[in-house]
Amino acid sequence: MSSSTGHPEFPGIVEAAREGDLTPYGQPGAYIAGNTPPTGTLTVEDEEFTESGERLMTLNMGPQHPSTHGVMRILLKLDGETVVQCDPMIGYLHRGTEKLSEGKRYAQIVPWTDRLDYTAAPLNNIGYVLAVEKLCGLEAPERAQYWRVIMAELARIAAHLVWLGTHALDIGALSMSLYCFREREMIQDIFETFCGARLTTNMMEIGGFSRPIPDGLVEQVRNFVKIFPPRQQEYADLLSANPIWLARTKGVGVISPEAAISYSLTGACLRGSGINYDVRKAEPYLVYDRLDFEVPLGEFGDVFDRYIVRMEEMRQAVKMIAQCIDFVDGNDTPLMAYESPYVIPPHKGVMTTAEDMQRHFIWVIKGFNPPVGEVWQSIEHSKGELGYYIVSDGGSMPYRMRVRTPDYVNLGVLPHMAQGAMLADMVALVGTIDIVLGSVDR
Amino acid sequence: MSDGDTLQHDDSNLASQAGVETIDYDALGWGRELWFDDDLNKHPVVRELGKHFPDDMLDVIRFRNETTIHVTPAKLRDIAFYLRDHEQIALNLLTDMTAVDMLTMRTTPRFDVCVMLYSIPNRVRLRLKAGVDDGEHVPSLVPVWNGANWMERECYDMFGIIFDGHPNLRRILLADDWDEGHPLRKDYPIRGWKEFPIYNTERTVHRARSRWTGRGV
Repeated sequence: MSSSTGHPEFPGIVEAAREGDLTPYGQPGAYIAGNTPPTGTLTVEDEEFTESGERLMTLNMGPQHPSTHGVMRILLKLDGETVVQCDPMIGYLHRGTEKLSEGKRYAQIVPWTDRLDYTAAPLNNIGYVLAVEKLCGLEAPERAQYWRVIMAELARIAAHLVWLGTHALDIGALSMSLYCFREREMIQDIFETFCGARLTTNMMEIGGFSRPIPDGLVEQVRNFVKIFPPRQQEYADLLSANPIWLARTKGVGVISPEAAISYSLTGACLRGSGINYDVRKAEPYLVYDRLDFEVPLGEFGDVFDRYIVRMEEMRQAVKMIAQCIDFVDGNDTPLMAYESPYVIPPHKGVMTTAEDMQRHFIWVIKGFNPPVGEVWQSIEHSKGELGYYIVSDGGSMPYRMRVRTPDYVNLGVLPHMAQGAMLADMVALVGTIDIVLGSVDR
Repeated sequence: MSDGDTLQHDDSNLASQAGVETIDYDALGWGRELWFDDDLNKHPVVRELGKHFPDDMLDVIRFRNETTIHVTPAKLRDIAFYLRDHEQIALNLLTDMTAVDMLTMRTTPRFDVCVMLYSIPNRVRLRLKAGVDDGEHVPSLVPVWNGANWMERECYDMFGIIFDGHPNLRRILLADDWDEGHPLRKDYPIRGWKEFPIYNTERTVHRARSRWTGRGV
């Protein structure tokens, strides 16, 4: 193996292995059948020639390209208009969330999670809060869980609307983004009524909700549930039978089921290839095991199937919101697990009793100390499986917090999809993975 | 009845009277409830690794219904291959791969490479951990799952763990010419090693002095 020699320029870095190096480890067919090996390093100075003697062209797509949905650079190697190799360069928005979390108390980290995927901040909050609750061994009351599901599904619709608008905009349907952002405004108004913020909501708390649900919120959500399905039908009418849309999406960016599993895809990218894995069904968290909903699956694993899957997910989300809002309407059960020593004491007690005031002071100043251990909690994000891995050493700050963001892992399939694709399809391929660079770069 | 038969009969009677149940672990099957059983020896992965990799399974930990198996780093790839291809266990989805710097929690080894696996048919999770020291190499999991490519690159970027056989091991989130080491190590200061100038320390508008105390408010 070439690993013993090391890289000539960077001692300490193992030289990139050739394809033959992988076989000494035994198993025949080291790469799973049907997959191509991951791409190697691409540099701008590379000069390669095709069989006919034409030089391959190296092209930078980004980092300011509008269809990269943020700051991402894709290094392309082109043979005419065909992509031969592609190498995504990420990290322009890296803020070190994991390192910063090691210096923050558990309750202080919730606002940081908003900034991961800023199109669906409540979902990020829920994943983190559930992980801390699992670590502490507490559970939020039933009514709070229903409200969490409502906010999660609203956030899922909001994230899918951003995806649909920008994805269609990239491919060429300009008017789509205008309609999508119209409905997204309604969801953001609901968030504003609920917690006061529209984008970075910071709405989930460890143990439930410490503030009462505002008046009129149920009517606002009911209004949205009534208005949204016909509006979504309009989008489907605009796109689903549109010949331009079909020509740009059908048969483009096909991922086989084997490749989808091998590349660790989750979410619509995995289900678009026909593999039935949804965290809400497989390992139900919150109250998803009591709700009636279906998981849509694709058939061919192309861009169009993933579009169909996400559209159906929005319909199922509306269905779930309607079920949850019936439960919470007129329900007056507690919202916060105040019996647990890990949650913030009730406001009324803080104002009236000395014990609660002292506990509140300690909770705010020093935080709380969960037991020693490590937990993994994953939820179904709008983009896939969002996982939080928290290692606790018994202190008031996590010893290590790992965020497994879905689109970081999903983006790894782009070199596989782009191989042999046309240059004009690259925007469709980037759009179909549904990336948000705040979540990719963390 | 011969003496030998009587003795055997008595032995089994004694065992049942003392309340010691002998469990035939091989005959337990592969039910999903066994993955969450309090008896860790019933765990299907523990049983199978005990048979095929007896020297490489170092520890089994259960916390909050999650099972963690510590393995030797040299056999990490073989174990991953085995668990992926096993018909009943079928841990076929690599959920996540990361590392933890255990600098202040134990003396050696320094890092834990954590591999989170998920089985789509069985709907169960498993965490494999391999302890490695600084500078020690780990076999790459890219031959097993292509998704390990970027996860291992991030591990190298953040911790400096080197994966043998990785096709493209270089930094991914930080810049290619980042020369300050690996930031998620515990001995890496949160603001980095370099001294950066701190701006806006001098007041341009002076604080009003309180009339009563003579100090700033």
